[in-house]
Amino acid sequence: MAESFFGLNVALRGLYAAQRNLDTVNHNLNNINTPGYSRQQAIQVASHPMALVDGTGMMGTGAEVTGVKRIRDEYLDFKYWSENLSLGEWSAKKEALSDIEVQFNEPSDSGFTTIMSDFFDSMQELAKDPSSAAVRSLVKQRGVTLAKYFNSMASHFDELQKDLNYRIQTKVEEVNSYATQIQQLNRQIYITELDGSTANDMRDQRTLLVDKLSKIINIDANEVVAGHLPDGREDKHFVVTISGKALVDHFSVSKLALVQRDSAHQVNNEDVPSLYDVKWADGNSLNIKGGELRGYLDVRDGNEGSSDGPNGIVSPNCKGIPYYQKKLNEFVRTFARAFNEGYIDTDGNKQFTAGESIHGGHASGIGYGASATDGIRFFTMTGVGNQPLLSGDFTAGVTTDQQIYDMYNNVTAKNFCVSADIVNDYNLIATSSTMPDPSDPTKVIPVGAGNIDVLNQLLGYRRDSNMFSEGAPEDFMKSLVATLGIDAQQAGNYGDNQQVVVNQIVNRRLSDSGVLIDEEMTNLVKFQQAYSASAKMIQTMSEIYDTLINRLFA
Amino acid sequence: MRITNNMLINNMVKYIGNNLTRMDKYQSQLATGKKIQVPSDDPVVAARALKLRTDVAEIEQYQRNLKDAQSWLDITESALSDMGDIFQRAKELANGSDGAESREDLQATAQEVIQLRTQLINLSNSTYAGRYVFSGFKTDKKFLNDDGTFAIAVNNNEKINYEIGVGDDININVAGGDLFNNGNSVTAADIATPTAGKFIQDMDTLVNDLQSGNYNGVNDIMSDLSADLGNILRVRADVGARSNRLELTTNRMQNDNTNFTKLMSDNEDVDMTDTIMNLKNEENVYRASLAGGARIIMPSLIDFLK
Repeated sequence: MAESFFGLNVALRGLYAAQRNLDTVNHNLNNINTPGYSRQQAIQVASHPMALVDGTGMMGTGAEVTGVKRIRDEYLDFKYWSENLSLGEWSAKKEALSDIEVQFNEPSDSGFTTIMSDFFDSMQELAKDPSSAAVRSLVKQRGVTLAKYFNSMASHFDELQKDLNYRIQTKVEEVNSYATQIQQLNRQIYITELDGSTANDMRDQRTLLVDKLSKIINIDANEVVAGHLPDGREDKHFVVTISGKALVDHFSVSKLALVQRDSAHQVNNEDVPSLYDVKWADGNSLNIKGGELRGYLDVRDGNEGSSDGPNGIVSPNCKGIPYYQKKLNEFVRTFARAFNEGYIDTDGNKQFTAGESIHGGHASGIGYGASATDGIRFFTMTGVGNQPLLSGDFTAGVTTDQQIYDMYNNVTAKNFCVSADIVNDYNLIATSSTMPDPSDPTKVIPVGAGNIDVLNQLLGYRRDSNMFSEGAPEDFMKSLVATLGIDAQQAGNYGDNQQVVVNQIVNRRLSDSGVLIDEEMTNLVKFQQAYSASAKMIQTMSEIYDTLINRLFA
Repeated sequence: MRITNNMLINNMVKYIGNNLTRMDKYQSQLATGKKIQVPSDDPVVAARALKLRTDVAEIEQYQRNLKDAQSWLDITESALSDMGDIFQRAKELANGSDGAESREDLQATAQEVIQLRTQLINLSNSTYAGRYVFSGFKTDKKFLNDDGTFAIAVNNNEKINYEIGVGDDININVAGGDLFNNGNSVTAADIATPTAGKFIQDMDTLVNDLQSGNYNGVNDIMSDLSADLGNILRVRADVGARSNRLELTTNRMQNDNTNFTKLMSDNEDVDMTDTIMNLKNEENVYRASLAGGARIIMPSLIDFLK
């Protein structure tokens, strides 16, 4: 009797189906907070019907669960990857630029504006009393403070650059680690799915890893059809590429490498040595188009796309650390040139031109007292042992105007300092113009202790709008701070906007794939009742058979 | 749209985060009193802030310069006033010596004139903060020797200028020659052969005439003394005019300082009332979103399945 226990079998199927469904609900509830998890659904169908031999038609045989699918819209994954890239880039830039911003410490009562004001204020005091030792000492100290401000900025910028270099290193290591994990998952998924099933949870994990990669670097991730399996299904390989070259190709991974730059690969003049270049481990060059890596690289190397570095390498088109270092160097060079030599680049061609006087400024004046002599430079650079150079050592072997001009190209924000002469003897701070010494015509003496012709000239440089293309010294720094402020603000705005876009996609993903407790609880009740009903069915069937088997012939 | 539990939680966390960010902004504005903490908060305000700080710092320096210039001129003014009194007294003494005095009286008068002369020499070496005010650029050197001859060459061009505004200088000294040498510079030749200026020469003549009883001479010198007095008055008038200009500039700087400080404050200082209101407002929103969040996150079907 083929159909003797048919009813029990159908009821059993019902029990199983309800149980599978309950298991899925259980799994979903367990993973409600698992990152990257997409909710799953048991695929329940009516099982194959049975044709009745007496020609009355088909008899239903109950339900069965044929598989478990994950609810996920892969279009949203692609969208997330492309938008997350931008988010990574701008949030990295925002973070790095705020670090630079903090260095400038403006607007405040201790930033550049205050230091510069203090320096010129002390010179104003000196103008009123050029013979006062107290005021001379004050001018020296304020000069040292000004120089130290630039020294400290320069070394902080070096630190920032090293710090960014370290972050780049960390990010590259992250990429390699994710790539390896993806490659391992590829293997597991491929093997699991050979029988035609879907490795839901492992696929979720893999997508999560690609999500993380997509914030760091521009990637494309796709399943590529590599042929056909013996059973006729497509043989799909999961491939992650960066700018066209595969990072992960099915079971193989090719890693990124960090290559320390030697002097032949230095990008900017101001760079600290041995920064990392990011390349493929096989030596090929890598085109990083976005993500956190791009953001960090831009700020670390960015010099407005200029290629005036030692090797003519084009820097990223972004105002990064080298840009601000270059600007600070330009400031101290130009300022020292004007202050020491009275040289103003009136035609603005950034080089010495005949007709632009180079024999004025501090060097043309003379200080006070017996030690006074002319030709002293107020600002020089540090030499051996980080000690300030004597004015005479600074200008040693320099005669022509062009050489004097070029001499200042060695001055940087890092080595800028008040000359050893002034540090040792503040009476050498030039205030007066000179006249021949009546007792020794080869020497010059001050016109008088109260003469401040030269000091007035020096004071005038504060307002000399020809000194920089941006205007007077303080205008230069003001415009530098404003530029930085605008860039940082822009990066912040882009980052914030991009965050909104990404949040929107995250929400759509959650809407689609997220677990909803109410829904699961409803399902729980639904399948629990189905289970109970099937159980009841079994009881009923059991009673039927009991009647049939035990009672009928009793 | 299907709303899932984690969407609610994510959104709530995000909104409360935004809320806290805004509260933090108002909080730091209140704590620092400044609208912006870093340039990127508002680059325009930042750039203006830098410019206005420089302006205010400059004005404050000019105010200090003005005070010092005023003090220097006050010293000069007081010396000139004393010199005027000296010549006035010398004139009175000369005028009183009309031939009726005894020889002893004349000697006594001569003695007083000698004292006046010494005082004149002392005044010529008046100092401000240890610097000789009539010595031109050579502020570290005495203008007259104790015997009344010139100690140093002072050209009338040796003008010490103080900067009291952008491109605004004021000459604060009086070159000694202008006063003592009848308006002429003291040259190197005057030093090579010890020479006394007209002031001292006139005093010397008066003393000699008094001592020798030369009434005609005493009478003659009267006009010279008047001329000297006129010379002092001329210089005093000039110094007075400069003093006047200083006062005007001081007033203007005071106004500028007030204006620029106000501009600076308008530019970068927070409006406390506004900010406190905003903070209070944000706090309410924050409380509301917390309360809302607590209601949304908490209940689910579980709470009702018994």
